[in-house]
Amino acid sequence: MSAIPNTIQIKKHDSQTSLTHIACPECDLLQSIPPLAVSESVLCLRCDKTLYTHHKNSIDRSLAFAITGLLLYIIANMFPLLSLKALGLTQDSTLFSTALALFQADRPFLSIIMLLTTIVFPATTLIGTIYILLQVKTNKINELTAPLFRFLRSTDAWGMLEIFMLAMLVAIVKLGDVAEVVFGISLYAFVLLILTLTLLSASLDPHDVWNKLREKNVNEGNNV
Amino acid sequence: MNMQTARQAGLIACHFCNTLNKVPTVSENDTQQEYFCSCCQSEIHSRIPNSLSTTWALLIAAIILYIPANTLPIMTVVMWGDGQPDTIMSGVFHLLDSGMWPLALLIFVASIFIPVLKLIILTGLVLSVHFKSHWKPRDRTLLYRITEFVGRWSMVDIFVIGILVSLVQFGNTASVSPGIGALSFSAVVILTMFAAHSFDPRLIWDVIDDYYKTTSLKEFVHERHEKARTL
Repeated sequence: MSAIPNTIQIKKHDSQTSLTHIACPECDLLQSIPPLAVSESVLCLRCDKTLYTHHKNSIDRSLAFAITGLLLYIIANMFPLLSLKALGLTQDSTLFSTALALFQADRPFLSIIMLLTTIVFPATTLIGTIYILLQVKTNKINELTAPLFRFLRSTDAWGMLEIFMLAMLVAIVKLGDVAEVVFGISLYAFVLLILTLTLLSASLDPHDVWNKLREKNVNEGNNV
Repeated sequence: MNMQTARQAGLIACHFCNTLNKVPTVSENDTQQEYFCSCCQSEIHSRIPNSLSTTWALLIAAIILYIPANTLPIMTVVMWGDGQPDTIMSGVFHLLDSGMWPLALLIFVASIFIPVLKLIILTGLVLSVHFKSHWKPRDRTLLYRITEFVGRWSMVDIFVIGILVSLVQFGNTASVSPGIGALSFSAVVILTMFAAHSFDPRLIWDVIDDYYKTTSLKEFVHERHEKARTL
């Protein structure tokens, strides 16, 4: 006889503990969060995992970087990133044409990976982050905010634009020997985009966003 | 406050938002009860369910696919009508022959060194948990953290192939086509990423926690600090 699991939704105001304490995600040790100065971090007492970093104006700065990132991302997709000149012919390359070229070369699986890691996930991350930060900033958190942010966090490792940047460098050096490689307009936007994304991930600690959601839950729980 | 883990305190930390949820019972295997996070409504578990067997399955699949990834050609470069298929290793040697050793080193590290290291580390971690090892839990956690962080960079070779395929399209004069090895290699990278994701590093510490149940965890942490000072 197989036991049917009971489904239990934890009451919302129970998340109060999380405002003062944190469990290390890598060793499960429960510890309190001490008051922090700007750019100070809490490390786990026994495994040294960075648990939380206090950033100055975390939400505002991240919102600025995310909007900048989205604009740069649009420009980076509008024009060629690289062009190759040989035999009087020119071949352009964009993020999308790279995925398309793999599809035409009978590698649909590689093409889908390319499409997801360089186009779909980076775009959803940028748009989603802007949407959530705007909600948090204007205090218009609804029931979809938490599941959406959860989705963004789980796809975070699959956005691979910085790896694509490195791959472009390799391709430039490799092809530079045999043909003329021309930098496209979008390449400059792309480099700035990578810089912006790095700053975004350095200025936003997800803990801050979750805390806003938890604070709201706790307040609602107390009012009921 | 006496040091304790979230599980010992009757709390489950959400995998996504790390919210601490107070639950009536935290069992070793959460099959009797399903709990949902108070903050993000995802299903919560004290430990990732079936962590070891899932990681094993993904690891074995990755190790098997690693063989075709290295023996089959990852791409074929055709110049003036004739072309030669390249495997990962022969690609590295070609770069070395043409004097581009920094590039050769980069591709070697990203495509050979990191995937092999990742497979070895993950296998070691799973074995160490399986045999309830007490060996340097902090260093093992650090190894796990490194594996999780560097794994995605192995994709660089796949992206290089993609860029070359899209740029070098001059018919019979010069063209690049992706090989079947690239498919296996990207599968290895993705499978190991999932394997690292399904491994729960808290299992490393559960062994230590069980061992130190008699003494308090506070003493254990204190002991570690003392040791660190004397070293």
